[in-house]
Amino acid sequence: MIRLENVTKSYSTEVVALRDASFDIAKGEFVFLVGPSGSGKSTMLRLLNREERPERGAVWVAGRNIIDMPPSRVPHLRRNIGNIFQDYKLLSNKTVFENVAFAQEVIGKPKHVIRQQVPAVLDLVGLAGKEDRFPHQLSGGEQQRVSVARAFVNRPLILIADEPTGNLDPTTGEGIMRLLDRINKTGTTVVMATHDQRIVNTMRKRVIQLDRGVIVRDQARGVYE
Amino acid sequence: MFSRLTYTLRETFAGFKRNVTLTAAAIITSAVSLLIFGLTLLIQHGFDNLLQRWEGGVEMIVFVSAGTQQDGLDFIASTLQDQVNTGTVASFEYCDVACSLADADRVLAGDPTTRQLLDETNIPTLFKIVPAESTEVEFLRGLKESYQQLPSVNSVTLAEEQLDLIGKLQGFVSTYTTGLWIALMFASGLLIWNTIRTAMFARRREIEVMKLVGATDWFIRVPFMLEGLIQGLLGGVAAVGSMLFINWRWTQGVQDFPDSSGMTALVVIDGYQWTVAIIILAFGALVGMIGSGIAASRFLDV
Repeated sequence: MIRLENVTKSYSTEVVALRDASFDIAKGEFVFLVGPSGSGKSTMLRLLNREERPERGAVWVAGRNIIDMPPSRVPHLRRNIGNIFQDYKLLSNKTVFENVAFAQEVIGKPKHVIRQQVPAVLDLVGLAGKEDRFPHQLSGGEQQRVSVARAFVNRPLILIADEPTGNLDPTTGEGIMRLLDRINKTGTTVVMATHDQRIVNTMRKRVIQLDRGVIVRDQARGVYE
Repeated sequence: MFSRLTYTLRETFAGFKRNVTLTAAAIITSAVSLLIFGLTLLIQHGFDNLLQRWEGGVEMIVFVSAGTQQDGLDFIASTLQDQVNTGTVASFEYCDVACSLADADRVLAGDPTTRQLLDETNIPTLFKIVPAESTEVEFLRGLKESYQQLPSVNSVTLAEEQLDLIGKLQGFVSTYTTGLWIALMFASGLLIWNTIRTAMFARRREIEVMKLVGATDWFIRVPFMLEGLIQGLLGGVAAVGSMLFINWRWTQGVQDFPDSSGMTALVVIDGYQWTVAIIILAFGALVGMIGSGIAASRFLDV
């Protein structure tokens, strides 16, 4: 599903975010990217979204090298990738329903499909009955659930999560992880950058560890070291 | 398709509500610049009316007395033909009753009272003359005096003084109004661009999310372009209303000018003002849309 081949990305001559990084992620895998701040986790996620382009190497997503992809095709790539952020990135002037529906609206899904699929996904993330609330009326965990619902509503092939539990207390974080695990079991590939040692150690999924832009460990059913 | 249209319209009007002050400023600036643009076109058209008589290098007009019989006309024509043969006159053309009435329609457009007094029975016909030496003022004046001696000639008008005055006025007015409307149009485009840029800056988070969930650049850009287009169009509507009002007041007021001032031809009542109105609306919409499109593109690099 995802393949990085000798990818190098730098932001200046002094700052090398990724150095000669290579790995394969199969369809339906759940992968943690771990490492200290500045180790290149977020850069790696941004490369998968084509928010960034590397200087060298190739990034394959769903069988296509996205480095050479023309800009007009990038939106189509992103429709196959769901994004979850540490700060949720919800739109404060839209209700829970509208925030989730927004992801379908911008890709031109018809109204009747939106009316059918949004309540279903809100039910999946445990927010049924809160459709009309605004983000500021929700707890942090609930806001992250809206963010998960928005990322998953278009049934993407890949879900990218950048520190999704970073702003949440441990119990709420565990709830979000159960949700991501459930989504993963539907066949969606999940790639998650995290600092949360407890979550990584509990889930025992594949762990790719980065240090100053270099992959130093790639371990199946790994732990946070 | 329908859901996209609904989305686009909803976002466009949300944009209007978000930036009321800036939107109003952009509309007013476009209105003022488009008004000056429209007035420039009307003024130029008015001058064209004034200069209509002197087209084709005509330097002199010999007005024939009303009621002159054919033999009187033949005499003037044969005198002019002799001058063509001797090289004094390059060419001449007779403007009959129908031609004179058409001229009167243009020249007296701003003075309908006087125009109504003229009909086929009393309108003076005329000869338009192109002298061989049109740059020699003394020669032209001598020629004018010789024509005034001819029987059946009512009066002779020399283009020199009128053309000089009209030309100077036209040059002055056209240069400054054109310069002014270009500057104002640029300012108006910048203001619309800035309005949209501010709107997009306020919504950069929303745009980032849109990009990440797979919205195309055009999907994001279109509501902003539509907002700019409507701003330009509203400015255009205000400009058209003001221009038509000013044109109406000028047309009314010009009737009080003396006939000899030549100002009676400096009006636009032949429908040209509606052509200008369409140009203003199209131009306003285009400037608004392009300005917004450029502003929007700057925020789409996610």
